Amino acid sequence: MIFGLEFPPIENLVEWPNLFGPAESWYGFNKIALINLVALVATSLLFLVAGRSKGLVPKGTRNLVESGVAFIRDGIIMETVGPEGIRYLPYLVSLFFFILITNIFEVIPFFHMPGNARMAGPAVLALLTWVYFIAVGLKHQGLKYFWNSVAPPGVPKALLPLVIPIELLSTFIVRPFSLAVRLFANMLAGHILLVTFTVLCITLFSATLLALVLPFSFAMLVGLTGFEIMVAFLQAYIFTILAAVYIGSSMHAEH
Amino acid sequence: MLASILAATEVVTTEVTKVAETKNPILPTVNEMFWAAVFFVLLWALMKFVLLPPITKVMNARDEKVRSDLQAAEAAESTRASKLAEYEAGLAGARAEAVALLEAARSEGDAERRSQIAAAEADAAAAKAEAAAAVADAKVRARSELTASITDIAVGAAEAVVQKSIDRAAQTALVEDYVNRSGSQN
Repeated sequence: MIFGLEFPPIENLVEWPNLFGPAESWYGFNKIALINLVALVATSLLFLVAGRSKGLVPKGTRNLVESGVAFIRDGIIMETVGPEGIRYLPYLVSLFFFILITNIFEVIPFFHMPGNARMAGPAVLALLTWVYFIAVGLKHQGLKYFWNSVAPPGVPKALLPLVIPIELLSTFIVRPFSLAVRLFANMLAGHILLVTFTVLCITLFSATLLALVLPFSFAMLVGLTGFEIMVAFLQAYIFTILAAVYIGSSMHAEH
Repeated sequence: MLASILAATEVVTTEVTKVAETKNPILPTVNEMFWAAVFFVLLWALMKFVLLPPITKVMNARDEKVRSDLQAAEAAESTRASKLAEYEAGLAGARAEAVALLEAARSEGDAERRSQIAAAEADAAAAKAEAAAAVADAKVRARSELTASITDIAVGAAEAVVQKSIDRAAQTALVEDYVNRSGSQN
């Protein structure tokens, strides 16, 4: 309790009981898993509906989906990898839409919880991306990929003792960690911010003089809700573009 | 004393157990990782084989159509430019031909005018010469008639004055000589 404001413990904000499956089981299905399932179903439905629309001129759902795909193809892959990166479009489109939809649950009524405000989702996506870019590196460069990654061509031999540990750390350890933590921390921070202002509004909704502050608190809540929609999109974009950069850098030794 | 130490140890053990049992809300849980992996990998597979191909197929078809339409537009533009150049060249040729025709007509007109003027001048000169000849003839004729008349009058007058006939031939030569001299003075 701070100045009469009773803030719920952090566990209450991010931990959810299982909807089915025993507690602590590896397959326990809770609200976060439900959000991930909705992200899968919603993305699939969007693409199925868009795919059924015929004709060269996109309209409605197809326009929305094509805008997203074109954004990832032209705005991310072509800018970071180039035309040869088009083959990775399915993975990057899946990443973008999955993250965007799980993030957007932050502002969806009755959910009010971004799926990525839990470390599990971002950690899985970061680990998959880590495996993916290493696999791409092995496919394009063979086993020399590991050496090229830690000792980029052109680096003077005298600097290698310094460069190798740094590159090893940044490429194979920091990359997945930073990918996961960036997404998770941003979404958790936004979630806590919205909860804070919601609790504040509820507390100020009283028959005291404090009610005078309520409109400002409510305005902040509305503004932050809009801000969180922007953050949801931005974090999906950042995760996807970084994944594309990592995949692109694995394709050629000179990166 | 021992009892109080045991009690304190019990409390510490309980607290340590509580802390160990308290989950860190930040750490990922296995069940959430499991479901996230399942759903994402499923989405990825669906996206690769089912969801994305129809979308990219239409997008590629549209890109191809846009590209071919652009090429057709460029070809049409090139045809338009060549037709325009051809038309302008034709126009310039027609203009040059018109100017040449005009010049030819002008020079032909000038030549015709000059020839007509020359012909007219020649006609005028001929008419003038003919008139001059007629005048000269008339003059000669008038002079001879005048000479004859003057001779007749002079001889008649002289014969009347002197009351005798005079040499008509000598008087005639005298009058002709006078007329000729006076005619040359005029």
